[in-house]
Amino acid sequence: MKRLVEIFLRRLGSLLATLVVMSFIIFLLVEIMPGDVAQMILGQSATEESVAALREARGLNDPLLERYGRWISGVVVGDLGESVYMKGVSINSILWRKVGHSVILAMTAFIIFVPLSIFFGVLAGVKEKKPIDSIISFFGLATMALPEFVSGVILITVFAVQLKWFPIVSVLPIGESIWQNLNIVILPALSITLVMFGYISRMQRSSMISVMNSDYIRAATLKGMPRKYVIFRHALKNAMLPTITIIGMNMGWLFGGLVVVETLFGFPGMGSLLMTGIKTRDVPLIEACVLLITIIYSVSTMITDIMYSYLNPRIRFQGGQK
Amino acid sequence: MKYFFYQLKKSPLAIIGIAIIVFWLIAAAVGPSMISYTYTQMDSMNQMVAPGEYGHLLGTDSLGRDILARIVYGSRSILTVALLTSMVSTLLGILLGFSAGYFGGKVDTAFLRTMDILMAIPPLVLSMVILGILGNSSIVSLTIIVSIAFIPATARVSRGVLLTEKSQEYVSAARIRGENHLYIMFVEILPNTTGPIIVEATARFAYSIMMVASLGFLGVGLQPPTPDWGMMVIENKPVIAQAPWTVLFPALAIASLVIAISIFSDFVSKVLIHER
Amino acid sequence: MRRTLLVVLLLAIPMMVFAGGDAEKAAPVKQIRVAEQVPGLITPGVWDGQAFSMNSSIYEYLVEINAETGALEPLLATSWETDAGKVWTFKLRQGVTFHDGSVFNAEDVKYTLERTQDPSIGHLKKADFEVMESVRAVDDYTVEITLKEARPTFVYQLTDYSMAILSSDYDYASLGESKPMGTGPYTMSQLVPKESALLKKNPNYWVEGLPKIDQIAIYFVSDIDASISMLESDRVDVVPFVSPEIKQRLDGVDGIKIISPYQEMRFISMRVDEAPFNDNRVRLAFKYAMDPKIIARNVAKMELNDGVFYDESPIMASLAEYKNIPLRGRDVEKAKELLKEAGYPNGLSTELYYASDHPFGKELSQTIKELAAEAGFDIVLKGYTRDIYLSQYWLNVPITLTGWGGRIDPSMLLALAFKGDGPWNESHLDDPVLNDLIEKVSREADPDQRMVYYHEMQEWFFENGPLINVQVPLLVAISDRVVDYKHPLSQLPQYKYMDIL
Repeated sequence: MKRLVEIFLRRLGSLLATLVVMSFIIFLLVEIMPGDVAQMILGQSATEESVAALREARGLNDPLLERYGRWISGVVVGDLGESVYMKGVSINSILWRKVGHSVILAMTAFIIFVPLSIFFGVLAGVKEKKPIDSIISFFGLATMALPEFVSGVILITVFAVQLKWFPIVSVLPIGESIWQNLNIVILPALSITLVMFGYISRMQRSSMISVMNSDYIRAATLKGMPRKYVIFRHALKNAMLPTITIIGMNMGWLFGGLVVVETLFGFPGMGSLLMTGIKTRDVPLIEACVLLITIIYSVSTMITDIMYSYLNPRIRFQGGQK
Repeated sequence: MKYFFYQLKKSPLAIIGIAIIVFWLIAAAVGPSMISYTYTQMDSMNQMVAPGEYGHLLGTDSLGRDILARIVYGSRSILTVALLTSMVSTLLGILLGFSAGYFGGKVDTAFLRTMDILMAIPPLVLSMVILGILGNSSIVSLTIIVSIAFIPATARVSRGVLLTEKSQEYVSAARIRGENHLYIMFVEILPNTTGPIIVEATARFAYSIMMVASLGFLGVGLQPPTPDWGMMVIENKPVIAQAPWTVLFPALAIASLVIAISIFSDFVSKVLIHER
Repeated sequence: MRRTLLVVLLLAIPMMVFAGGDAEKAAPVKQIRVAEQVPGLITPGVWDGQAFSMNSSIYEYLVEINAETGALEPLLATSWETDAGKVWTFKLRQGVTFHDGSVFNAEDVKYTLERTQDPSIGHLKKADFEVMESVRAVDDYTVEITLKEARPTFVYQLTDYSMAILSSDYDYASLGESKPMGTGPYTMSQLVPKESALLKKNPNYWVEGLPKIDQIAIYFVSDIDASISMLESDRVDVVPFVSPEIKQRLDGVDGIKIISPYQEMRFISMRVDEAPFNDNRVRLAFKYAMDPKIIARNVAKMELNDGVFYDESPIMASLAEYKNIPLRGRDVEKAKELLKEAGYPNGLSTELYYASDHPFGKELSQTIKELAAEAGFDIVLKGYTRDIYLSQYWLNVPITLTGWGGRIDPSMLLALAFKGDGPWNESHLDDPVLNDLIEKVSREADPDQRMVYYHEMQEWFFENGPLINVQVPLLVAISDRVVDYKHPLSQLPQYKYMDIL
């Protein structure tokens, strides 16, 4: 238990440090890189004078540290600030709705790929070296290697352009919520699923194989226990451990992939919002999206770590050395 | 090495993988001189022609540019960037990971904390934000930023590898001989850790290709007219219904290369781990 | 028990969904659905012109252009008069109210015009209106504008999309992006930034019988292909800004038509105060290397003069001021010879800068590079996102490719972009003949005399000019059910006249 608390605190500390460091770096980067929001707003009519005036009006001429301080003190109390690009529009008013959509997308993908890949991974592991194993393994390798936008394009061509089962674009009809339009989530979720499937099923397969070859499973089989019982009661439990880690470790890819998939499908989520923020040099918007992705990502790795320690008796009881 | 070829003979999949990698390397090296089109040349009479027609083996895009030429030239940039990033990130990873693991104590703690911070952001998101703010990516900026995004992973692996070697007797022997730290790290330890490091580097190579392609897709990768496979996919997506080959071939190029490298890295890890 | 509950739940979910759908169908409303580009900003003055169905329905102008005849017609101004173009007096319409209930009057017009000069707003048309000396509200419904110098075509500037009339009592600085408000035929009912907008008929609109439809539903979709698929699956009725490839694809599709209300301009400008383009022979060589037909086909997927035009002067082919000078035709040999004469026997190397995220930018720049290469120009393309292009490179580089909106009256554009002291003089021209012609044309009150100057100017450009002007079509895909789609040059679609079957 002490170990879990320790992991938790350490993770929390590094998360906070990350948020502060990262948010500052973004402020700094936008500051030193060419192109700024005033330029973006003024476009062709930008002159030195008008850029300066606009920067002044939006409070962009204050020293960097002062602006950063102002922004972060707001964040601490839950005020993510106002878009510098779209004046008068608070980040809170546009962010959370999209975050909700992204979370639904990620969860849908999660619900599909976790059981699917564990099932096929176990199947391949149990049937090691049989044709079914080769097929699953190769399929896993292939889907794992396809970037989300490649598999997404294939899915669009097949299911949206040819079969017309799903819409090509994930647009929400005005006045309706995402719950009434879950069909727009399916194709994006599937393209994430394909990538994740490869990683997880392969990991599940190899850990299944090593567990199946371990002494205690052999002993159990020799004792005459039914094969199914051995697989589900003994082998699976132990073979899940590395899988959980790999799921957690791949959450990073999942969120990176989310940006790509949302861009491909025009899905109204956090990823496309981040893209908009970057294009318009809208610092508070970029900050909010990056911070949120960081938090979600860190929290999910943290949960993985804790679950891993909890499930793995060696770590739980030793309480030491990693 | 003998064992490598022995294993290779037994694994047809690995042979296919290696063949595909070699194919792309040759394509990148000599391909451009073998194709009668350049990647910007526009055959304006033959826009969006299907593969095989009018002398365009893989067809043309909406500007009449030869898809084959663009893919072949594109293989140069993507292989260059991916090779560079996997090398830079592995080398820097070794440098950082080894130093941290070797010296331990405060250095190690500082290293781990820094890596924790970098690890808390998905590498794709990190590169995308920085490149997007930068506005115009070149091979150099792309390499630097993607390498930075990859360093936490490579450095952690290197550190882990070093820690397993550190307690070996030859290390303490070298210490007693009075060798300096750098010598011990890179002349004594490094040669003994090539196995896992090569495995990591080949896997990193596959990730780099995916990353560079995805960044190109998001529009923050190499800028036109430099052909980039990922960019070709998004650029031609509007005509996917009329001219699917414009999207499909670059997508297949990405897929074939990444799958081949993954197969290869899989194979390498199998061989090297058995060898140990 | 548990199982029963589960069944009930499973049945209940789809029923709730259907119930939701039914409730909406209960009240049939006439609506037009639009899928348009994701707008950047939407406050008039800084608005990038993308969310144009939304803004053209919420806001109104002093005058409007008749989409059929191209004539100027009264809107919020009922009449206007001027003394040779220096002092302008506008009579305003009475009985018009803003959506927030406040009454439209002369103060609002004064506020709107003066706002263009407020540096903290960053008004896009600041330079155009710098010519104003003062704006005076004579009485509640009369406005008098005094210009610094005579400008007989000033009234045309008021049709510009940035010149939507705003209420002087409304805080556009903080509400413009979230709660747009004007006197237009539609009011904002629901706005989700970057996602969608729902506009409802303005019940107090001042024209009897307009608008004809009850609401406009606008989706902001960045991917044009996606918008088209929404059109094809009958989820929207109007998609503006479709690409030439899409036009090709939709030609002949039942129920959908593509119209091109007008052209926009793309200027390829050579900088004349530096080598190599300070030598007119190099400029001519560059122009001889161009093939208008190939440019038209590559860039717009259309035949030349059928929706896409090529010229060497900044006057659009669709304007009355345009003089039809025959194209010089492609002559690579002649181009090479001219280069040789100018001292570049082996060709020369230069750079073309463009905004990579601007429509037609990539296609046009790459086509030009290829065409010029045959005559010995080795052009390095430098594409940057629009903000960086405009802020870092535009106005300072050998060749630029910039987008320019069409204007009914070309004199303003000439003064801004081709006069020696013009703020957007991308080619760094300072030619006494041209300066003089531009000066004269902006001050001349007699339309016939203006025409003479315009023609002279176009000949000057043909002989000496540093410019290639490719006029690319604005393409709009609409469902056949949409009736009376009206969309005049330099203005926005006029939804109030439209109906749907």
